[in-house]
Amino acid sequence: MAPAILVISLLFGASILFGLAQSFGLMTGTEQETISFEAYRNVFSGQGPAGREFWSSLGFSLWVATASTLLSAIGALTIAIWLSNNKGKSQQTDTLALNWNLAFPHLVWAIALLLFFSQSGLLARFTASLGLIQTPADFPILVKDRSGIGIILDYVTKEIPFLTLIVLAVLRSQAENLDIVAENLGASRWQRLWYITIPQVLPSLMAGSLIIFGFVFSAYEVPAILGVRYPRMLPVLALDFFLNPDLNSRAEGMVISFVITLIVMIVAIISLRGEKEGTQE
Amino acid sequence: MKNLTIVIFRIFLYGILIAPMVLFMLYAFSERWFFPAPLPTSWTTNIVTRMLNDPRTTSGLFISIGIAMLVSFLSLLIGFPAARTLGLRTFRGRQIAWLIFFLPTVVPPLAVGMGLNILFLRLGWSGTLFGVILAHLVPTLPYTIFTLSGVFSRYDENYEHQALVLGSSRLRIFFTVTLRLVFPGLIVAALFAFLISWSQYLLTLLIGGGKILTLPMLLFSAVSGGNPTSIAALSLLFVAPPVIIIAASARFLVQHGNTIREQY
Amino acid sequence: MTKIELVELKKTYPGSHQPVLNHLSLEIHSGELVALLGPSGSGKSTILKLITGLESPDEGQILFDGKSILPVAPNKRGAILMFQKAYLFPFLNVEENIGFGLKVQGANPETIRAEVKKMLNLIGLPGVKKRKPSQLSGGEQQRIALARALILQPKSMLLDEPLSSLDTEVRVNLQEAIRRIQQELGITTILVTHDLNEAMGMSDRTALLINGQVAAIDQPMKLFTKPPTQSSARFVGVSTFFKGNLANGVLTTDFGKLSVNTNGHHAESALFAIRPEHIRVQTEPEINTLQGVVTDCMYRGEYIEYQVEIQSLTVRARVPMPAPVIPHGENIYVYFPPEKLFEVSQQ
Repeated sequence: MAPAILVISLLFGASILFGLAQSFGLMTGTEQETISFEAYRNVFSGQGPAGREFWSSLGFSLWVATASTLLSAIGALTIAIWLSNNKGKSQQTDTLALNWNLAFPHLVWAIALLLFFSQSGLLARFTASLGLIQTPADFPILVKDRSGIGIILDYVTKEIPFLTLIVLAVLRSQAENLDIVAENLGASRWQRLWYITIPQVLPSLMAGSLIIFGFVFSAYEVPAILGVRYPRMLPVLALDFFLNPDLNSRAEGMVISFVITLIVMIVAIISLRGEKEGTQE
Repeated sequence: MKNLTIVIFRIFLYGILIAPMVLFMLYAFSERWFFPAPLPTSWTTNIVTRMLNDPRTTSGLFISIGIAMLVSFLSLLIGFPAARTLGLRTFRGRQIAWLIFFLPTVVPPLAVGMGLNILFLRLGWSGTLFGVILAHLVPTLPYTIFTLSGVFSRYDENYEHQALVLGSSRLRIFFTVTLRLVFPGLIVAALFAFLISWSQYLLTLLIGGGKILTLPMLLFSAVSGGNPTSIAALSLLFVAPPVIIIAASARFLVQHGNTIREQY
Repeated sequence: MTKIELVELKKTYPGSHQPVLNHLSLEIHSGELVALLGPSGSGKSTILKLITGLESPDEGQILFDGKSILPVAPNKRGAILMFQKAYLFPFLNVEENIGFGLKVQGANPETIRAEVKKMLNLIGLPGVKKRKPSQLSGGEQQRIALARALILQPKSMLLDEPLSSLDTEVRVNLQEAIRRIQQELGITTILVTHDLNEAMGMSDRTALLINGQVAAIDQPMKLFTKPPTQSSARFVGVSTFFKGNLANGVLTTDFGKLSVNTNGHHAESALFAIRPEHIRVQTEPEINTLQGVVTDCMYRGEYIEYQVEIQSLTVRARVPMPAPVIPHGENIYVYFPPEKLFEVSQQ
């Protein structure tokens, strides 16, 4: 036990500590030796380059994360219920197929989407050979777009299998017998779905969705590949400030990264609560 | 009717699964492919061979494999005893230990990497393999511990007791009984620690400081370069190990897949 | 052939105030099978864990043939434990499971194969050696576990309710097999069980464990018919007790006078007990009868159980079939044969 705790708490603890120090302007490579709240002021004030972009980035991040999460949840719930109604030999194959998406890290999935959905991508070529469009510019901007559709598309396609597996696990482990009992008591198919199935999977679905929200909100790779120069998601913004040659903006990058962490932590706590309630039932 | 829709859905599902591979191959082996041709008009293996002969790529490949294997091995080595204690025992401070392992899974790599960046710079670990491996442990170790502690919470120690009263030594029990019983879980934990490290971009960037060029680093620079053919070729190389690993561990995944919650 | 002595064993688990074993002493003769019977939490399994070395006692000694085994490592004690579950190693087949103990001793493969074959014949399961544990029934698994223990010619066998998860028929079958083999090989054996019938049927002596101490130990029949204390009497199924003043072979209770067989001693406050199957019900008063009202009458197959209220006292009587069904509320007389009433200490 001890080595693991030591490794984690030293590395993790130190990273938080040094991060905090930097957000107060210490150890950023500048000459500053006293604690300063300037970076916080710059980020939250809404003025200056950091502040103005921060608020729009926060809004953009919230939009992308919320949309991705909701769409994933709805999609996963539909597919899982549908798959569990169609039992048979292919059950294991389905599980395998859904697990297959683990073979494609987000980084590579985003690249695949880029190659497929861009204006000169495979889909545009198919559309053109069907005669629907003439030039690449006629094809709608689906990736690297200003409203984050490409990013959302990436997360939704990647997270639906993830969530479906979670919901399927619940459905296959317990819901079946209760469904039979409810049918025996006279509930119709839709009533069973509404009163029996959905309440059973809801805690796990919620917990899983919140994990997704936290991940989407804090991940860097996908928005970096599929996003545009403006608006940017918070992690992209934070890293940009942090790696900026102007050492003064490092602190601002650190502040933004703490904002991300804080929001993700809150979501994680809610998720844990929900999961606990779910398991108590 | 209902059967037909499910068949169509499955075709669609499996289609999506192979689509990325097909897509990468189309681009990677294309020589001339002008818009709006749906398929390349002439093919070549030049790009792929040139990439495989490029020392930057080959060293990236070996560095990536080396880091991921070491990280995975270290995670198991350090995580195993902790996971066993966490899974089998109730003890004072268990909640705190759990929280210490849980926090790094929540706090984004971005924040961890930015914090470690300056620390490692001061310690002289920046731009070293050692520093990168250490940083990769922050996300992989908790993951390994939680996967294995899940395995241990369903583990029955009486198998070990049985072997003990039958005359086996503790060391022998560990290798012949314990390891064999937790083997599937161990494999899953090791593979995913490997994958998490394999696809790590941010931590490598922030700690490696551009000196440790793993495949994700090369892939990112290819993406900003914008040449679809070389992006696709590099992607093929990058995605090969995960695809092989997932295909090979499919059997274990059906049993243990539900514990996989880590995103990477 | 090994004599086992447990001397003043004390054990308290961390985080608990109550000791599980409280200065417990017990002697098991060489080649004997002693059953440990007791309610859950009475420390039965703890004794086995202490003997095998999976736990250590806080105080006390464990002696094999007069020599302490406490300094001996658990894997060198020659005391083999069998659990409720067979714990066959799932990744080994039957042959490898049975041979496990010999293999870790470094025996050569020829010897192991020969010994395994002998064991499979002994337990009556020849021809399963290539199977995996998952292909065997629960009873077969326990037989293999037994063979795996016996192949080491252990000094002692410690059975921790090894049969409790099996069906009745399989269980009886295995009880007989274990008893037969144990006697054949003369292995000193301790059987932990909460099944009274199993303890009675299999053991040379049965020990009753209550609150971490041996409340009674005797041959099964004696323990069953004349348990020495009130609590041990309750455990073997006695529910009727009379308290009163004893003088001249007559016990004066709150419900009336009862004559009892004693060696003529007197006591201010004596406690007598009687087994339910020794109580009779009848319509006429007689000597040693008490009047009561039938409150329940249950047909139990081989006997009828009457529940009779004698003022504030509820008496259960078991009368073998054929016996009359008596309606509720009927006034009857309950007969307590003097020679069946026995004195118990009030513990």
